[in-house]
Amino acid sequence: MDSLIPFTTSGSLVDCVDRKMLVVLRDGRKLQGVLRSYDQFANLVLEDTVERIYHQDVFAELKRGLFLIRGENVVLLGEIDLDQEDDVPLRQVDWETLEPYHRQDVAAKKHREDIKAQVLFERKGFCKEGGEGDGY
Amino acid sequence: MADRGRGTFRGMRGGPASASRGRGPQPTMDKPKREAILDLSKYVQERIRVKFTGGREVTGVLKGFDQLLNLVLDEVEENIQTESGEHTRKLGLVVLRGPTITLLSPVDGWEEIANPFLAQDGA
Amino acid sequence: MLPLSLLNAAQNKPMLVELKNGETFNGHLVNCDNFMNITLREVYQTNAEGDRFWKLKECYIRGSTIKYLRVPDPLLDAVKEEQKMARELGRSARGSHVSGSGNRGGRGAPQRGGRGGMVRGGPTRGGRGRGRGA
Repeated sequence: MDSLIPFTTSGSLVDCVDRKMLVVLRDGRKLQGVLRSYDQFANLVLEDTVERIYHQDVFAELKRGLFLIRGENVVLLGEIDLDQEDDVPLRQVDWETLEPYHRQDVAAKKHREDIKAQVLFERKGFCKEGGEGDGY
Repeated sequence: MADRGRGTFRGMRGGPASASRGRGPQPTMDKPKREAILDLSKYVQERIRVKFTGGREVTGVLKGFDQLLNLVLDEVEENIQTESGEHTRKLGLVVLRGPTITLLSPVDGWEEIANPFLAQDGA
Repeated sequence: MLPLSLLNAAQNKPMLVELKNGETFNGHLVNCDNFMNITLREVYQTNAEGDRFWKLKECYIRGSTIKYLRVPDPLLDAVKEEQKMARELGRSARGSHVSGSGNRGGRGAPQRGGRGGMVRGGPTRGGRGRGRGA
């Protein structure tokens, strides 16, 4: 059966429908939800979505609901193994508690990338990146 | 006959597709919206705000437009944001290329406000 | 049920649109097309940093600049129900008079859409996916 479906976006995603999926976006956001639908552009419909942030060995999540994600912003789409997801050795904390730390992490990363890009451009002869600055 | 294969889903810009509308993909909910979803004629002689890919932003009085969203604006002012603040520069009569326009809204009824989401949470 | 049919069904519903540049727009969907271009009314715009806000009576957003849209949770079930009704209506209408070749073009699309999730209806394994993550 699988062999009959060509390796295309739609071919790869059929089996993911109605499964709990992890979606990573270009901006670094990590969403988990049930994939309900998609199309030839890999636009996704994600139900009961939660957004997760991580810092060291803790994480926090926030309910976000029903998403329609434009496919071109998706970096990664992976199925979550429900039998193993609770074995992940991370501790959950309040979103409000973790969010400032996460924001710091993001800012620090951006700062590092800015410096790196600057050095590459000014001293190593690389071109400037596309402009969105997210490395993709 | 020739348009049978390509007529259904996307990429149909021209005549044959619109001719077959009506008895074509009717059963689906998403009827293809060929006609513009934005009626620009209601903004003619009105001041509108336009944003472009790349982040530039202008306001101007709409004088003309076409299907591709190319616009003619008069009395155009570009709104420039820098680290040191915001300022404008006058550009006069301008043709705006449709494909580079990302956002369009009337200046009338547009205002900066305080955070409207404070009462709720995260929105 | 394709993503864009969900968007289509969201007309007059409140939604949050985030653009690739991080700006967000909260408003009611007026119209949309197959490029995901949308028009909103009664819009609250937030800048990417989340510290400035604007009120707009209406606006047009180019589909290619969108990162994602958040729509009301009940919409998914509403669309499923609506499509089920439409299908049954179509079936009974078609059953009465033999119209063979007339809507060939039209039949292809919903079937293809079904592959993307609608037709499998019952949660084969998906039931487990729901309700987790609290």
